[in-house]
Amino acid sequence: MAVRLINVVKKYVGPDGSVVPVIDIPEFLLNDGQQAALIGSSGSGKTTLLHIIAGILLPDSGQILFGPPRGGPGSVSLTHLSEAQRDIFRGRYVGYIFQTHHLLPGFTALENVLLGMTFTHRGHDRQWAIHLLTAVGLSDRLHYKPAKLSVGQQQRVAVARALANRPTLVLADEPTGALDAKNAQQVLELICSLCTEVSASLLMVTHDMDVASRLSQTYSLTQLNRAAMAEAVR
Amino acid sequence: MNIFQLVFKQMRQRALGTWLTLLSVMLGTSLAIAILILARESRDFFGVKQFGYDSLIGKKGSRVQLVLNTVYHLDVSPGNIPFSIYGELLKGGPYYDYVKIAVPFVVGDTVNGKFPIMGTPCTLFGINDETRKPLPEDEVLGYGENYDGSEKHFELAQGSVFHYNMFEAVIGSDVARLAPLRIGDRFQATHIAGTANSAPVVHPQIWKVVGILKPTHTAADRTVYIPLMSFYTIAAHGAALIAQSSLENGATPSLTSQFNASYDHVTIDPDGTEHHTDYILYPNKTFHLTIDPSRLLISGIMAQSRGGVDLQRLQYYLNNGPDVMDVNPAMEMGVLLDNFLRPSQVILLIIASLVSIVAAIGILVSIYNSVSARIREIAILRALGATRRTILTLICLEASLIGLFGGILGLVLAHAACALASYLLNLYVGQGIDWLRVDWTEGVYLIAVVVVSALAGLVPAMKAYWTPVATNLVTV
Repeated sequence: MAVRLINVVKKYVGPDGSVVPVIDIPEFLLNDGQQAALIGSSGSGKTTLLHIIAGILLPDSGQILFGPPRGGPGSVSLTHLSEAQRDIFRGRYVGYIFQTHHLLPGFTALENVLLGMTFTHRGHDRQWAIHLLTAVGLSDRLHYKPAKLSVGQQQRVAVARALANRPTLVLADEPTGALDAKNAQQVLELICSLCTEVSASLLMVTHDMDVASRLSQTYSLTQLNRAAMAEAVR
Repeated sequence: MNIFQLVFKQMRQRALGTWLTLLSVMLGTSLAIAILILARESRDFFGVKQFGYDSLIGKKGSRVQLVLNTVYHLDVSPGNIPFSIYGELLKGGPYYDYVKIAVPFVVGDTVNGKFPIMGTPCTLFGINDETRKPLPEDEVLGYGENYDGSEKHFELAQGSVFHYNMFEAVIGSDVARLAPLRIGDRFQATHIAGTANSAPVVHPQIWKVVGILKPTHTAADRTVYIPLMSFYTIAAHGAALIAQSSLENGATPSLTSQFNASYDHVTIDPDGTEHHTDYILYPNKTFHLTIDPSRLLISGIMAQSRGGVDLQRLQYYLNNGPDVMDVNPAMEMGVLLDNFLRPSQVILLIIASLVSIVAAIGILVSIYNSVSARIREIAILRALGATRRTILTLICLEASLIGLFGGILGLVLAHAACALASYLLNLYVGQGIDWLRVDWTEGVYLIAVVVVSALAGLVPAMKAYWTPVATNLVTV
């Protein structure tokens, strides 16, 4: 399932009441199964863009289409869904990896992965959850709570949780940002291999060019973003 | 992982807060339900509408005291009336036209200081004193009313009714269980002294248990019944009768010094016949009272009027006399219940409900604080696909579950507390309460606790509902 953004605009109102354009993307396409990096400087709106694609935030205008690359029958316009429909859509089709793991502290590694399946109304696939945790090298840590895991292990659980519903799109927001080089390398490889396994597209936000270079394509938010271009011209 | 498991996990995660909140709900609920149980039991106990008789004749004085002493064996007897009053209710007497059944009784002594003794004729148990033959049912005094409107009569579980002139006894079911006394066992009557410093007096006469009544769930279950006349064989009672008679005839109070143990003089014939001061005890164990019948006093008379105007006439004539009064026990207990017990129960219930509401506010505060602390977790759940409504449901469900579990534990605690109260009441008053019975009012209260808890959960649930996801995911 490809993701297509058309004329997506998002503005924020500053503390002084001024309107600050953050996202203004005329067109962006992430193809089915494509693994791409999105680079940009700090505060350029990378996370905001991911939130918009995930349906967590709504753009002020524009469309986010999920479906065939050229649109048409079978495509879903995220902006036309109600908030509850967007939530359910996100639960089913989008996996989200945060910069920090965002695991629930009272739940074990396995439960955190199963939690990712809870809101899809599809039932729980325990075997798949165990497979994912095994794939990220935590088969012997299934019943450990996050506090008993290292930071790298916690992030690997978060990767497994993002893949729990076999999503068609994985959004990763600087998933290696809090890890050392060795762990970052491992986590990156895991994300890519698991996305390949479930045939999910991947859009990874990073400011690390090394990380970006490992993915098939790299987009610069500055180039995508009309707002950023305008800012640069000024 | 379903929504319940998710809620339980969240509750376990903050176990201390959950338990403390649950505890406050439990205490509030237990207090309210204990009051409901005690209110119900006191209503059942004191609010009896059918006693099997509509007329209770006794010494003029406190009407409630007479009923409490006769029906519930509480308080002390208000005094004695002449036995001759009983004769006036029988055939040939002036009040016969108004009275269908009349049973005289005397009270005053106890078994072991716990179980009151009542002297009555065999007619109370449906047996003719002289012929020992069963009486027609409509000539037997009842003790209550069945659901179908028929009268309840005393029934024997074991043994037989006592002989009217032998030292025999019929005991209530609780006496058999708690005293414990069985068929063939013997006991002596104990007179509890009127002052705190005086020791109880154990009378020498010995009665033998010949019958045990089926449970009636009334004060009769803890009563020991003996033949009416055997009550007067107790020397002290005979002495008291003489003393009272002397006082009524103008003697000075000092003459009451005859009231002592040396009153009874016994001589024994060669054939074994014992001649006591007030009676003769034959070798066949029957006795004959030698006391002057005109001196006999009784505690009261339970009578069933012929109904309607006859009851009013009987009350009118007796109540306008100088020494005797006639009260309707159902009416007296109704007045006591309406004027004293019910208002105090309502006040207690209001207090208990306020305690439950405070507990519900405790739920609100506890969950509100927990939601504030879990705001990022809620944002994560939203990011994982939970809708706002799911989050609202999660929080309200948590509050409801705390209300439900706290309520159930409160229900159990209330019944346990009432079991303890029942034990203590049995110990001190001789009558417990039906602490195991759960009725619909408790169910309604429990539902109300859950509903109020869910409503209390709504405030934090709304906070969670409006949690902005993006902001709380970014702010790390």
